[in-house]
Amino acid sequence: MTRRNRIVSVIVAVALAALVLFPFLDVFSGALVRTVTVVVMAAATAQAWNLIGGYTGYPAFGNVAFFGVGGYAVAILMSKLHVDFIPAVLAGGLVAALYATLLGLPILRLKGHYFSIATLGVAEATREVVSNWTALTGGGSGITLPISPDIPPIFNRAMYFSMLAVFVGSVILTYGVTRSKLGYGLIAIREDEDAARSLGINTTRFKVTAFALSALVTGLAGGVYAYWNSQLIPEDAFSLDITLRAILISIIGGPGTLFGPALGAVAFEFMRNYLWDNFPGLQFTFLGLVMVLVIIFMPKGVMEFLTGRRRFTASALLQYVRQNRVS
Amino acid sequence: MLKVENLSAAYGQVQVLWDVSLEVHQGEIVALIGSNGAGKSTLLSTISGLMKPRAGALTFDGRDITGAPTDQIARSGIAHVPQGRHLFAGLTVKENLLMGAYTRRDGPHVQKDLAWVLDLFPSLQRRLAMPAGRLSGGEQQMCAVGRGLMARPKLLMIDEFSLGLAPIVVEQLVETIQTINQEGLTLLIVEQDVQVALEHAHRGYVLETGHIVLSGDAQSLLDNEHVRGAYLGV
Repeated sequence: MTRRNRIVSVIVAVALAALVLFPFLDVFSGALVRTVTVVVMAAATAQAWNLIGGYTGYPAFGNVAFFGVGGYAVAILMSKLHVDFIPAVLAGGLVAALYATLLGLPILRLKGHYFSIATLGVAEATREVVSNWTALTGGGSGITLPISPDIPPIFNRAMYFSMLAVFVGSVILTYGVTRSKLGYGLIAIREDEDAARSLGINTTRFKVTAFALSALVTGLAGGVYAYWNSQLIPEDAFSLDITLRAILISIIGGPGTLFGPALGAVAFEFMRNYLWDNFPGLQFTFLGLVMVLVIIFMPKGVMEFLTGRRRFTASALLQYVRQNRVS
Repeated sequence: MLKVENLSAAYGQVQVLWDVSLEVHQGEIVALIGSNGAGKSTLLSTISGLMKPRAGALTFDGRDITGAPTDQIARSGIAHVPQGRHLFAGLTVKENLLMGAYTRRDGPHVQKDLAWVLDLFPSLQRRLAMPAGRLSGGEQQMCAVGRGLMARPKLLMIDEFSLGLAPIVVEQLVETIQTINQEGLTLLIVEQDVQVALEHAHRGYVLETGHIVLSGDAQSLLDNEHVRGAYLGV
């Protein structure tokens, strides 16, 4: 094991231990558990986006469709068919992955902006269908999920650990993908799709696989969210905010990196909370400003910025900016 | 080995190839020459499946590959080194070379072939860990050819082989090409430097505005009036 790998392992172990243990310490209030659940959910959806947007280079703008489909699958299974939470969430993830496979076959033929617009359109269309399919989804008034018998603190903690499981699973999945031939194939597609095809890579199958895996994780997160929220309406389940946050976090953290989304989620949610508390009314202005600065000065994300061989001095910092800024 | 029969290809309404027929035999170096816009790159792209033919037939190794998907054609043993190299700029040289062997399932041989490619292109050895986008033009071409070789193809097609390279680098690459040809690899090469191409090829085809206007063994083309006038400036 190299020195760097050792350091990374230690950081990951400490972070994971903290994430697992802190809900049991009484000094932390239930509110913190809820806040961290939101951060972990954002990290999971960003990690999911990273597979298709970061590694494969296909800027998907409709991942919330999978969040919503996963959520609604859980809501329907639990409220109408009385399925238990865990099997319902797993089924929700699979339904989302299946949906992505069917969608991906046509729209993954598009590239760049065209692909982005198509995914955006599909997400909106999905919301419309869900809003109007009243018999199945309850229409605009949504679905109420069965109430857990647990008292709220226990329930919140259970939901937190469910979301954490989805996130950790997404990191393990991403790690597995990057170590496999699939991962190299996806990166090849991002770098030069024609060249990838000329090397014998079945690019359609690879892209659809990446899209389905991205949808699987997003759908699992949506499923946990549905039960946690106990009420699911189309506006929440298909909110564009879910997609945008996943993308922004991935970009801040470093698209196409394993730990980028986790770092990005912490940075983004911290920033968001800070701006919301201190600059009410101006929060979006500042958020936009920060995003612009990040993209100009750290286009490869925080991850690259932190892990590159760099001395943390003013001159080294300037040199990094000069080398990497968008001109 | 490769048989192109009455091939036509078009970009939308604009037809680029008209009724093109050519053959590449086992063990040959075949040069495809012609001026800019004659359709040389289109012909290679149609053979490798990046473009779909409008009409005509492609046969490789006795199998019909007309209209087959690119990845299937690649797996059947045709490697295409495209114009502009199309390296994976963000991946290292080593990763680029290994990507060439992506669909192979004979792991140990891949390592041996990597050593073989580095033997052919020693200057890549020192660059293995460098992102391919940062190589010089000549090294990029070597990396692209090397990546093609890593697939252990039966037929290697190289497009605009010497474009933008220093004469000494071209000479070096040409030598390497001849070495690998002597080791048994069949090559189809698009080359704008007609002199270089015909001096080292066995046979050649001349493509003009989408039509094959001349073909024959390389020496006879070098002596041909039309070729001399149009491409050699003598």
